Amino acid sequence: MCLLYQYPAEVKLFQVAALSLIILFSGCKDNPTDYWKPTPYQLSIPFGFPTKLNIPDDNPLTVEGIELGRYLFYDGRLTGRTHPDSLMSCATCHIQANGFEAGINHPRFQGGFVHGITGIPTRHIMLPLVNLVWNHSGYGWNGFIWPDNPNINLRNIEDFVRVAVMAEDEMSADTTRVKQIFQQLKGYPELFYKAFGSDKITFRNIERAIAQFVRTLISANSRFDKYLRGEVQLNPSELRGFVLFTTEEGADCFHCHGGGGNPLFTTHLFYNNGKDTVFDNLHDRYYITGNPLHTGAFKAPSLRNIAVTAPYMHDGRFSSLDEVIDFYSTGVKYSSYIDPLMHHVLRGGVRLTPSQKNDLKAFLNTLTDLDFLINPAFARPEKFPDQQ
Amino acid sequence: MSKLIIRYLAFSVITFFILLSCNKSSQTPSGIVRFDVQHKANGSTLELNKLIYTNAAGNQYMVTEVQWFVSKVKLQKSDGSTFVLKNGEPIYFDTGIPATLSQSFDKVPAGSYTGISFIFGLDETQNKSLRFTNPPESFMFWPDYLGGGYHYMKLNGKWLNVNGLIEPFNFHLGIGQIYDTIAPKSAWVNMNDCCKSARHCEGYQPPQKTMPITGFVQNYFEVSLPLAFTIEENKTQSLNLQMNIEQWFKEPHIYDHNHWGGSIMQQQAAMKAGCDNGHNVFTLSIPR
Repeated sequence: MCLLYQYPAEVKLFQVAALSLIILFSGCKDNPTDYWKPTPYQLSIPFGFPTKLNIPDDNPLTVEGIELGRYLFYDGRLTGRTHPDSLMSCATCHIQANGFEAGINHPRFQGGFVHGITGIPTRHIMLPLVNLVWNHSGYGWNGFIWPDNPNINLRNIEDFVRVAVMAEDEMSADTTRVKQIFQQLKGYPELFYKAFGSDKITFRNIERAIAQFVRTLISANSRFDKYLRGEVQLNPSELRGFVLFTTEEGADCFHCHGGGGNPLFTTHLFYNNGKDTVFDNLHDRYYITGNPLHTGAFKAPSLRNIAVTAPYMHDGRFSSLDEVIDFYSTGVKYSSYIDPLMHHVLRGGVRLTPSQKNDLKAFLNTLTDLDFLINPAFARPEKFPDQQ
Repeated sequence: MSKLIIRYLAFSVITFFILLSCNKSSQTPSGIVRFDVQHKANGSTLELNKLIYTNAAGNQYMVTEVQWFVSKVKLQKSDGSTFVLKNGEPIYFDTGIPATLSQSFDKVPAGSYTGISFIFGLDETQNKSLRFTNPPESFMFWPDYLGGGYHYMKLNGKWLNVNGLIEPFNFHLGIGQIYDTIAPKSAWVNMNDCCKSARHCEGYQPPQKTMPITGFVQNYFEVSLPLAFTIEENKTQSLNLQMNIEQWFKEPHIYDHNHWGGSIMQQQAAMKAGCDNGHNVFTLSIPR
């Protein structure tokens, strides 16, 4: 554009006119140009939350990208199929009301055990899609997707989208077919153009849009958050539960699951928490690191909205919070692989009294964020672009 | 108009060079100090996750990770003055994060030094809840109910207990609690003073399994390590800061895991023994 300043006015006028014509008659806007300017989306950091975000340089958050991502997240044609019986979207399993997990009350997946579009049981229980913009330590129960992965195709949420779409125990889709379908759906090419400067749909841009939307799924307004901000007081039972949660002689949850000083309620790290004595799961942390000490270790998930995200543990063995609390109280099993933080193991657990169990559960319930669970910005769009 | 511009430009250029020369003449010659942190056990490099060590109490043990803070690191000059690194901010080391184990600090005045000193952990002026919101430092938080702020150190591992079982231990040091009146009152701090930065301490009820907490003990301690070294202008001086793991369990108190068990965050006597022993844990040397 600075060339314009080196020519007489007539030439400049001609250049401007020519440029306008090119833009006007360009049938396919393949390349981002100066007039494509998506609107940057500013995440606000909630009180006590980390300031370092996991947002790749090549996929900054934009208003347009997030809007597109929300449509795609909820659009069942992400399977690359259009027959009403063959639709499956991210939201088929990731239910907002259940903290973006399937939930034990899922109408299609009994007990919260999901299966892919072809009926193959999904290998893992779901993890919540919450506050992932602060996850720098790997995605999935064993962290098989992580930022420094030598395999550049398995590094971030964008890659997780592709994995989920292609996995035969999930959407079992042909990515070429997926992008072809969305290319033909009225309204989508324009949204892709607004988000990424090109209306030629690529699967990479599908991944990027969904990842942007997922990064906005922030839960930070539970009763506990309000307590942390000094806006409300917890009741005596909840306070006793909080003390139990954050004391070694109590329930001792905080080293792995955070607390007041780590309101993510997870470290996003991996622990063998004493569920088993025989380890035959081929997809534990050891599967990723090759370190024998990581045998039987899985991610400590965020406890935000934990009351609505049953079933629990990597294999969904517990269907209620009561069962989980009972496990940590007296059901912890000894093995040579148990994480050192599970120092109560030789007593079978932290040995809570019935009233302490009630208090701990009362505290865990304060992590339910109703604003997050019904936030319209995260909800299914009323209409998809081709229906408007 | 053009004369005005030329005058303005000339004035700007002259001012620029004057400022430049002033700046140059006032600069103190400085260099860089680099701390290479080494974790040792019985004189050799610590091997994580191996049950190959024996402490002074005769416990066979292994270490799985060590995460710790120092703060108010001061370099002591031969003229008696000191230079404070990083404005005294806490510095974090982690056996699981290699980048933390070699940290450089620039703008250290050139000259002769006689040693360094630091606070192990964080003192009451710095140990405020939520001062770190980003990992890995934020993962070191010390619950407000137990005094707030941050762990000074997490030294995790396992030991072979009296029953022949390999049992986990968390040798965690931080603010201690007073559950009775044994500790001198001069060592107490007010709970609200300790927690006020977090705004969520009032209203706590003590857990049923422990005695009421009546106060807190600041367990941080100062370490002074004499060593003659020189910082030369625009050069890097490396210093090996060594943590000798076995010393945590050795003197003046023989620390027995069978006695204290796997967790000590709520056992002030155990943390005090650990911190007393901590004075002999560190050595400083110049790499050969």
